[in-house]
Amino acid sequence: MPMIPWFNNLPLWVTAVPLLGALALLFVPKAKRRVFELGALAIALLDFILCVPLWFQYDRSTAAVQWVTQMDWIPSIGVKFSIGMDGISLVLFLLTTFIGAIAVWCSFTAITERFKEFYIWLLVMQFTMLGVFICQDMFLFYLFWEIMLVPMYFLIAIWGGPQKLYAAIKLFLYTLAGGVLMLVGILAIYFLQYKTTGTYDLSIASFHNMAGAISQQTQAFQVLLCLSFFLGFAIKVPMFPFHTWLPDAHVQAPTAGSVILAGILLKMGTYGFVRFLLPIFPDILPTLMPWFLTLTIIGVVYGALVAMIQKDMKKLVAYSSVSHLGLCMLGLFALNPNGIMGGMFQMINHGISTSGLFLIVGIVYERRHVRMIADFGGLSKNMPIYATVFMIMTMSSIGLPGLNGFIGEFAILQGAFQAKPWWAVVATSGIILGAAYMLWLYQRVMFGKLDDINANMKDLNAREIAYFAPLVLACFWIGLRPAPIMKVLEKPIENLVMQINPDFYKGQDLEQIKADAAQLGIGAMEAPEREDDVEVPIQYPYQQDEDEIGEAPQTQEESLDDDGEAGSGGR
Amino acid sequence: MSMESSILWLIPFLPAFGALINGITGRWLRKTKIVDCVALGSVGISFLLSVFFFIWLLALEPSQRVVTQSLWVWFDLGGANVLGGLSQNVMEWAYRADTLSIAMALLVSGAGFLIHLFSTGYMSEERSDGRYYRFMAYMNLFMFSMLNLVLGNNIMMMFLGWEGVGLCSYLLIGFYFDKDFAAIAGKKAFVVNRVGDFGFLIGFFLLFMIFGSVDYNTMMGLTRDVLAQSEITLFGVTCAATWWFNLVGICLFIGACGKSAQIPLYVWLPDAMAGPTPVSALIHAATMVTSGLYMVCRMNFIYVNAETALAVILAVGALTAFVSATMGLAQYDIKKVLAYSTVSQLGFMFMGMGAGAFSAGLFHVFTHAFFKAALFLGAGAVIVACHHEQDMRNMGGLRKYMPITFISMGVATLAICGIFPFSGYFSKDDILWKVFEGWYNHGHYDGPMLNLTAWILGMLGAFCTAFYMTRLMVMTFWGDFRGAGDDPHGLRAPAAAQHNAHDGHDGHDGHDAHDAHSHHGHGHHSHGHGQHAHGHHAQADNHHGHSQHDARGYDGYSSHGAHGEHPDRNEHHEQHEQHDSHGPREVSWNMWLPVAILAGLALIGGFLNVPHSLHFLGDSHFSDWLHPLMFQREAAHGANHAVPAIEYLLQIFAVLWALMAIFLAWWIYKMDPAWSKAKAFVAMFPGLYRWVHNKYFVDEFYDLVIVNPCKRLSAQLWAFDAWVVDGMVNGAARFSVLAGRFTFWIDLRIVDGLVNAAAWILQQIALFFRAIQSGRVQHYAFVMFLGFLTFAFWRFLV
Repeated sequence: MPMIPWFNNLPLWVTAVPLLGALALLFVPKAKRRVFELGALAIALLDFILCVPLWFQYDRSTAAVQWVTQMDWIPSIGVKFSIGMDGISLVLFLLTTFIGAIAVWCSFTAITERFKEFYIWLLVMQFTMLGVFICQDMFLFYLFWEIMLVPMYFLIAIWGGPQKLYAAIKLFLYTLAGGVLMLVGILAIYFLQYKTTGTYDLSIASFHNMAGAISQQTQAFQVLLCLSFFLGFAIKVPMFPFHTWLPDAHVQAPTAGSVILAGILLKMGTYGFVRFLLPIFPDILPTLMPWFLTLTIIGVVYGALVAMIQKDMKKLVAYSSVSHLGLCMLGLFALNPNGIMGGMFQMINHGISTSGLFLIVGIVYERRHVRMIADFGGLSKNMPIYATVFMIMTMSSIGLPGLNGFIGEFAILQGAFQAKPWWAVVATSGIILGAAYMLWLYQRVMFGKLDDINANMKDLNAREIAYFAPLVLACFWIGLRPAPIMKVLEKPIENLVMQINPDFYKGQDLEQIKADAAQLGIGAMEAPEREDDVEVPIQYPYQQDEDEIGEAPQTQEESLDDDGEAGSGGR
Repeated sequence: MSMESSILWLIPFLPAFGALINGITGRWLRKTKIVDCVALGSVGISFLLSVFFFIWLLALEPSQRVVTQSLWVWFDLGGANVLGGLSQNVMEWAYRADTLSIAMALLVSGAGFLIHLFSTGYMSEERSDGRYYRFMAYMNLFMFSMLNLVLGNNIMMMFLGWEGVGLCSYLLIGFYFDKDFAAIAGKKAFVVNRVGDFGFLIGFFLLFMIFGSVDYNTMMGLTRDVLAQSEITLFGVTCAATWWFNLVGICLFIGACGKSAQIPLYVWLPDAMAGPTPVSALIHAATMVTSGLYMVCRMNFIYVNAETALAVILAVGALTAFVSATMGLAQYDIKKVLAYSTVSQLGFMFMGMGAGAFSAGLFHVFTHAFFKAALFLGAGAVIVACHHEQDMRNMGGLRKYMPITFISMGVATLAICGIFPFSGYFSKDDILWKVFEGWYNHGHYDGPMLNLTAWILGMLGAFCTAFYMTRLMVMTFWGDFRGAGDDPHGLRAPAAAQHNAHDGHDGHDGHDAHDAHSHHGHGHHSHGHGQHAHGHHAQADNHHGHSQHDARGYDGYSSHGAHGEHPDRNEHHEQHEQHDSHGPREVSWNMWLPVAILAGLALIGGFLNVPHSLHFLGDSHFSDWLHPLMFQREAAHGANHAVPAIEYLLQIFAVLWALMAIFLAWWIYKMDPAWSKAKAFVAMFPGLYRWVHNKYFVDEFYDLVIVNPCKRLSAQLWAFDAWVVDGMVNGAARFSVLAGRFTFWIDLRIVDGLVNAAAWILQQIALFFRAIQSGRVQHYAFVMFLGFLTFAFWRFLV
């Protein structure tokens, strides 16, 4: 495919645009509200538009990290400025710019004071989140991971509800605690790496390669190391019982904050599991898995049950997030392609539908400045467009086939059922409860008698329709045509499963199976594209050294790495 | 893909476009006929296309009767099948017209069209506000989902339709969403169906594990190979292939129990009557509730190899057929009677499937769709004619006013009772015979006792059916009109409050009471006098009366609704002299025509599938049509053995049995205008009556055992979350603060204290010495002198 010269740096630009935009907005006088609103929106939209070519240019036939940019930063301790993306990063990267633009757009009327700071922090937030998904270096990752808290802290602490300080500090300290534990883990692996290989390298790939060395250590050490990462990510996800910062943060945050929090921030945790915890600790996972799965399943059912009796709409949606992300984790912990695919889809879908639900709560909150379910009723009558959007988001959230939520849930449950049937059966009951609490919410808010105060509420205006429309379209698009996204994720997930669960492919000849399938006439439509795949022979990691697994897909990066080494003259 | 098959997708998609157009533009076009044209046109063309495909398939060889069309790859998940190896399983968005699915499509789009037509009359009151186009859009969306369900080429597509019809059912039951009971009933339907879907999904995953695919063709093709495996190991459990098939069959049947309202998941269907009557006819009688049957029929390649699953289906079906028929005996709401009747008839269909007679069960789906849709639409016409009265105690004598509706419903009633030669006779009798035949076992009388028990329950259920249907007809169409005027026998429904007390329990069953005085949010009881019970509606009635009158009357009765409040206008009314001016009258053509057509089908439809024993009357076209898709066991029940005499005996007995029930009901309700025998019976067994009338308190039982504990658990977990989980976090924070305070105290008192103490000590010492160092020479001299004295004392004296 033809490469535009600057194209290789496009992801870097996409990441930098929000930061540059924020810097530019710094120089605008404080009073010019409209400039901040439209400017921030323009920057966010530009960012999204810049992202679109990435989707088309991404090479789906390999699991390799693409668009690698790498240079030395602090050579003495092995820190590089290294960015690049694989399919997993790409979809979350796209999601971030997508949700980011909507978060800006929904704030025009909601934010009435200190808008300069608000939009600047929002853009900085987006920069840090994009940074997490794009970085290929542990140091950089940790940096973005922790910096991300700062804009979020201010978004909640300044523009939040009555208990904003409590919520902001809780969010900050809780997630910081997890982050610091993770730092300990990172450092432990870092020094272990020096002990075993004699080099200091903080690249993510080299950390993946440490999997073998880590498995040589004592079990207690492995468990502690794994737990340090687990806590860092589990708090961010959040998994039961580390979730209590979430309802508070959601309830107090302004709508845009909730949207970003639910849409993207929570995905950091699940992304962490996919990117770090699973591939770095494949050997200790079976030991810890029963514990992890127990927490996961409790989260699914517990989140749904607690959501059911919430009186505050935002809190209800927040607890539903606990349940949905529990499901996402269940998919990841199934350790097979379908489960992980489902988990990835659940990340995207939760990002879309839960953001949508928070926007929906935001609409009525903006109009009436109350959020209690009991304050509403019968809104379907005077807000038909709102009712339609709400219904679509509700159905997407409870996994109606044809909408996005179903694809993720189905793949997760299918994968989990394949791996651990009983866990899947219990998790499926969480889906029944999901329908119960969402429909009950809908019934209480939208159905029933309409009182005079609610009757005065206006239906969605053009701006609101404009930012809901892309979300609704995304719901339908992913629900009806998820195959292209699956195609992007397919290779990276295959690669991941080979790292973490090589037994899954044992004795299976993937190529043969695909040929059989094509012969059966199933998948004939996709057959021509598959021919590319044949060129890349599938390697079975359980037959070879650990090192080769991690290296194999990263040829592109290696060549650049060599240049970098030559430039710095070695260590 | 030939040119013809490339239009297959239009059958389901046309109604979807209809829904989209009406949903978006309806707000502006709601007062025009365009809404009707779009809604009816899309479904009508779908029906014509179905007919086209039917004729096309008819022209093909029986074994070739499959047309498929793939639109796009929906998604693909890698899977493994038990025959070894992963398989790349692509879920396609694909349609399939084969004998089974096109038959269902004909039924769905045909009945759907008639019911859409009926709705244009029934819902015409909603034209003035924004509801009418919304109703039509939902109905069209339902058609899309239902046609997806029956035409889909894999279970995934079926599940898409399965959930889609659930959504539409939810939306349409809760159509009058400002009524709490309607909104609650909609939610209940969805959630109960979700419980069934739980089983369906598990069955689905098991199928996926076994076949590595959920495509019908692939699964049917692999069935023999899978069965050839002596045993199958999944999740480390090794069992015979049929064991897994049984498990799959039972799991899928749980899903069918939800959708097709079987015990224990039937509870949503009676409540679903809160929706408009066309919805009850279309969704909750003719089409959606039969999707469980369609699924079992479609998966017959699993079920023929799953004896236990079939036994479960037979048992559940028979139990449902009997129990819900008894529930129908003591209901007064005309729609509730029909709802329990539907549950019961669905039980009959499952009995047929459970006996392995899939096409017999499915044929009952068809005949039932005819007569039950006719009954529901007829009931809808009656309800409209009685100004949204649903309690049969407030009806009566309508025979005179609504002859077409009366005749149509009469035909449908005879059909459901199973009187020869109406359609219900052929289908129900076939089912009962197939069940009995299992026990009869070629004259050995040694088949499973389950079959005999099921047959007995089925016969009892049939008796109850004939009884309550006759009761319904008599109460509605014979006697005197009780809706207004005198009530000499005290038969009219008690007022709402009394009704509740009469029910014996007021809290839960509130909506039951609501039904008794009929709430559709519009035009209640426009007749002005006599109804003291509804006095509180007077204000609202007045309002509605005006608005209706102002609105352009779409059909006769709409303007009629207004005249109760305007006696001065009565003279304009043709019927004024005929009877009490507030009385009922025949409905407009777009309402009676669909009823009449369906009744006509109910009359002659049975001849589509005449059992072999009555071959001189016709052939079993329906079974033959489905035959290419039906697996082994069906053939065993086929026509290759001589007809035993007992079959004829049972056929005659069944008709006599139904006639007995009809006569009994006639004797109790018709020949005794005051219903004193019924009242005496109730007085004799008040407990029994209370149980039956309250549907055995099953809803209350579920509330007690499932719903309330679930809510309690939620509350407890929420407390746990707030106090323990969050308490630990806040506790940690508080502990940190306390620890900080303590450290601060230590810092202040001890660390700093030590420093200060050192300083203090030094200070004290310094103070001491400062006191000494006064600067006066006399003091120094004195001290020196003291020192000298001390020294001298110590030196010389000691």
